[in-house]
Amino acid sequence: MTLMAASLEKPASSKKIPLNIKLIALILIPLVVGLAIGYGVAVVMMGGAAPAPKEKTVYNIGLTIPLSGELSSIGKIWEKVVSLAIEDLNNEVAACGLNVEFRLVILDDATSDETALQNVQSLHQQGIKVIVGPAASSQVKVVKTYADDNKIVIISPSSTAPTLAIPGDFIFRTVGSDAGQAKALSTLAYQEGARKLVIFFRNDEYGNAFADFLKQYFEEKGVSVSKLSYQTGLADYASEVATLASRVQSEGADGVILIAFDKDGANILSHAAESDILSNIRWFISEGPHGAGELLIAAVGRFASKVRLYGTRPLYIANPLYEDLAKRVREKFGIELGVFCEHLYDAIKLAGWAIIRAGKYDGEAIRNALVEVAKTYYGPSGWTMFDSAGDKAQQDYGVWAIVSTAEGYKFKDVGLFERGSIVFTEQAYP
Amino acid sequence: MIPGFVQTLINFVQYAFFYMIFSLPLTLSYRTTKVINFVHANFITYGAYIAIFLNGIVGNTSMVFASLSAFLIVGSIAVLNNLLVFAPLQKRGSSPAMVMISSMGLWIAYKYILYMLTDIVHFYTYKNFVSYGRITYSDIPSLSIGEVNLSQAFVAGMFTVVVIVLILYLILEKTRMGRAIRAIADNAMLAEVSGIPRSLLINLTWFICGGIVAIGGVVWTSFSGAVTPEVGDSMILQVFTTGFIGGLVSLLRTGAGALLIAFMENIGIALLNAYLGIPVSFRPFLTFVTLITTLILFPPLGAGGGLPYRFLKRRSEKCSDST
Repeated sequence: MTLMAASLEKPASSKKIPLNIKLIALILIPLVVGLAIGYGVAVVMMGGAAPAPKEKTVYNIGLTIPLSGELSSIGKIWEKVVSLAIEDLNNEVAACGLNVEFRLVILDDATSDETALQNVQSLHQQGIKVIVGPAASSQVKVVKTYADDNKIVIISPSSTAPTLAIPGDFIFRTVGSDAGQAKALSTLAYQEGARKLVIFFRNDEYGNAFADFLKQYFEEKGVSVSKLSYQTGLADYASEVATLASRVQSEGADGVILIAFDKDGANILSHAAESDILSNIRWFISEGPHGAGELLIAAVGRFASKVRLYGTRPLYIANPLYEDLAKRVREKFGIELGVFCEHLYDAIKLAGWAIIRAGKYDGEAIRNALVEVAKTYYGPSGWTMFDSAGDKAQQDYGVWAIVSTAEGYKFKDVGLFERGSIVFTEQAYP
Repeated sequence: MIPGFVQTLINFVQYAFFYMIFSLPLTLSYRTTKVINFVHANFITYGAYIAIFLNGIVGNTSMVFASLSAFLIVGSIAVLNNLLVFAPLQKRGSSPAMVMISSMGLWIAYKYILYMLTDIVHFYTYKNFVSYGRITYSDIPSLSIGEVNLSQAFVAGMFTVVVIVLILYLILEKTRMGRAIRAIADNAMLAEVSGIPRSLLINLTWFICGGIVAIGGVVWTSFSGAVTPEVGDSMILQVFTTGFIGGLVSLLRTGAGALLIAFMENIGIALLNAYLGIPVSFRPFLTFVTLITTLILFPPLGAGGGLPYRFLKRRSEKCSDST
């Protein structure tokens, strides 16, 4: 009974402890020895102790561009350009010895104001502080308040409405405002002899502001102008073109200035080509439709030749960096650069270098750094310095036409706006 | 007469052709299947893009060939939609609203499938299909009557409308199949009980409707200066408006709706612009003012019967009670 009681009082575990220690020792000793041998072999094989590689710092740059909708024709070209731009940016930072990688987060805004805002909001939710795009001025206007409130740097490569030239905000534009282009386009039309014009324009932020500036410049030159706007986003513009023909006939106008995007521009020109009234006056056009493949069909090409169609666009003509970019895009993707491609390319490069210069991923710091980086950056779009409103300070304008070549109709830059007048560098039409 | 009125008149007739080609099948399909089908927009777009792919990839310039291909392919897509989505939902007792929402889902899906296709084709051909210029066809003439030129699109549209109206009339009025389709439209349950193969005829209706709309899409490629994967989307509101004027029931009233909307969008806006200075950018607004005015003045007998119709009905009931 006493023995039994004694054995019961002994803790049961005390008998098992020596066994467990043996077991643990049996496992641990070979493991430690194995690790030691393995480390030794690794050191010998690698020729010395290697420090763990430092992980790359990854920065995201947001992108909201029109891969569908009214600007999709040019948006699809932009998609190719941005892939080249980010590749070049990463190569440059690597060449500088920086352990940094930039990644693009691309969203399609369908050329819609609401979708552009949704994109900016969702990019912001992902922690992104720098966004390239959106394309249209009406979109930039919609995202502006959200961007300013949340300190998100917006760099639009193509918004040109003068009404958005506002100092101190978070909106930057790598292209000059249309106040400059309106001067170039009005000079072009005047120099070509047009004295009574109808301005046919998109009823949106871009079209309205551009038309107002054009009217002002034309009136300063003593040219009579009337304005006719059309609703955007329609499937077709045959009815609008018929009304334009009616207006031209009733007013005895000798020219039309078209302010359009690519899809509506192509549509309007193809219907105008069928009108006797509109085929017998001069046509001038803004930068919007430049680069859109739909303009290169035979009907529009013949019309362009008949009415001696000329357009203006932001372009630093004969820039070797632009030519190099055009060549690389042609070789890699088999496409020609369209309007604003060079401004988009530079916007991405500027965004990347501004993040590096800021030293931290913070909207306010990046905004301040962007202004400084742009002062010394020269790219395919030329010198990118911003003015006080965050728009490109020095913007040159080229003159484009649709010319007939052995391979069909093509866009060609045929002149430039220099010191207040248009200088043609070559003859576009016979 | 306002300057350039002849072109405005031609545009009116041209648009009336398009609205008829697009909205008659919408009314027929709703009447028979009771599905408010948003994929109708894709039928237009896919019809246009079959012509575009045939033109851009293999260089086809025959509108007849493109129309035949579009009819068969899009007609088959319409049948597949019914077999895989609408019919199973209806069999499970889903409400018409649920079926309509499923068609909206398909609408978005088809749109982005087409965007993907244009990207894939671009990758191999280096051609831009996301926005395509007007196609000039080799087998459709353009006509000149005096000083008036009628484009290929006008000739093709006129021919298509005449053929479609004739075929629909012959099928629906002169064949047993047509009578069976009408019986399903009037009372599907009763038709089925009386031995009419309901699901077969509904599939056939989808095939015919999808195919006809696709032909309209092909004709559109000879008219519009720029076709994108959203061409159907930007037209669908006008097409539905035209259908609603017919209450989504009457083919005759749908035809009248097509004429009315085309008139307001072309001649109406031209007159308002010329005489009252109303901007031409008010054109889409005018479409919906026309719709609302028409619905209030002439309430439809079918799906769109709203407050005024009930009010009229109640008033007529009161009148009959008092007599």
